[in-house]
Amino acid sequence: MKSKIAVMADPDTVTGFMLGGIKDGFPIENMEEAGEKLKELRKEYSIIITTEKIGDYYRATIDKMSSEGALPMIIEIPDKTGSIDRESDPIRELIKRVIGVEMVE
Amino acid sequence: MAQEMIEGVNPTRMELLKLKQREKLAVKGYSLLKEKRNALIMEFFNILERVKGSRENVAEKLQEAYQDLTAAQIVMGDLAVKKAAMSVTESVDVDIDSRSVMGVVVPLIESETAQRTIVERGYGFMDTSVKLDEAAKKFEESIQLIIELGEIEKTIMLLAGEIESTKRRVNALEHIIIPRLENTVKYIEMRLEEMERENFVRLKMIKKTMEETEVANG
Repeated sequence: MKSKIAVMADPDTVTGFMLGGIKDGFPIENMEEAGEKLKELRKEYSIIITTEKIGDYYRATIDKMSSEGALPMIIEIPDKTGSIDRESDPIRELIKRVIGVEMVE
Repeated sequence: MAQEMIEGVNPTRMELLKLKQREKLAVKGYSLLKEKRNALIMEFFNILERVKGSRENVAEKLQEAYQDLTAAQIVMGDLAVKKAAMSVTESVDVDIDSRSVMGVVVPLIESETAQRTIVERGYGFMDTSVKLDEAAKKFEESIQLIIELGEIEKTIMLLAGEIESTKRRVNALEHIIIPRLENTVKYIEMRLEEMERENFVRLKMIKKTMEETEVANG
């Protein structure tokens, strides 16, 4: 299956990824429009790259979308200000809950 | 131990047979589910090996890429970088397949990011800086890593969800449903035996009285 990748992030990140070869970039100027955009994009694209900031802003929406099925795949990456320091990594939390012990360093 | 059992069953042979049938089914289901859970956990451990450090790799690579991008922006100006970025040709070719792990559909991504030379990227050399080339190269590499990371994280999420629900079902069967069925079966068996004994005694008594009356009459 042919799949499309989209980048939805702040303008600089989008420029960067366009430089890397992803043509479908959607610069987001303010957080409010990101939610709408995300709903549009999920119909068309199977991989959506977004920043952690947007991810945190729309945590509930994104979690719901990701748990619904295999696609779309929403990947959160740090933006140019660096990654947000989280007290707990969500993936690690998940592993802890499932296995019962801490596994990943 | 308080014996949990199903409320409101009649201690009859019909009910006993039905319950035994249900218990057999529950035990069978339990062992199947347990196998499923074990297989899922094994798969989960396999994927855990791959997740180790991949997020850090992505963050690191991206950090470098952002630095080069900023440098390019400083040298060439914001707009020029954007212009160059617009003219870059598409590089990523992603095929998403899915595979099924014990009924959980997880994505399987085959991606091909062509490692391109500067010429192939598609922007002009006249007004671009070396930093731009480096940034483009690093972003290409990052994209590859990000896609891989996405696949792994998605798989982990889906597997984890399935493991949780399977675990809950296994536990419910093991600790609640099967003991409850067992107890109910035991209860009915005991009641039936008790009824049989009562009946036996009653028959003995009748026999005795009959014999006594016979002796008195005869």
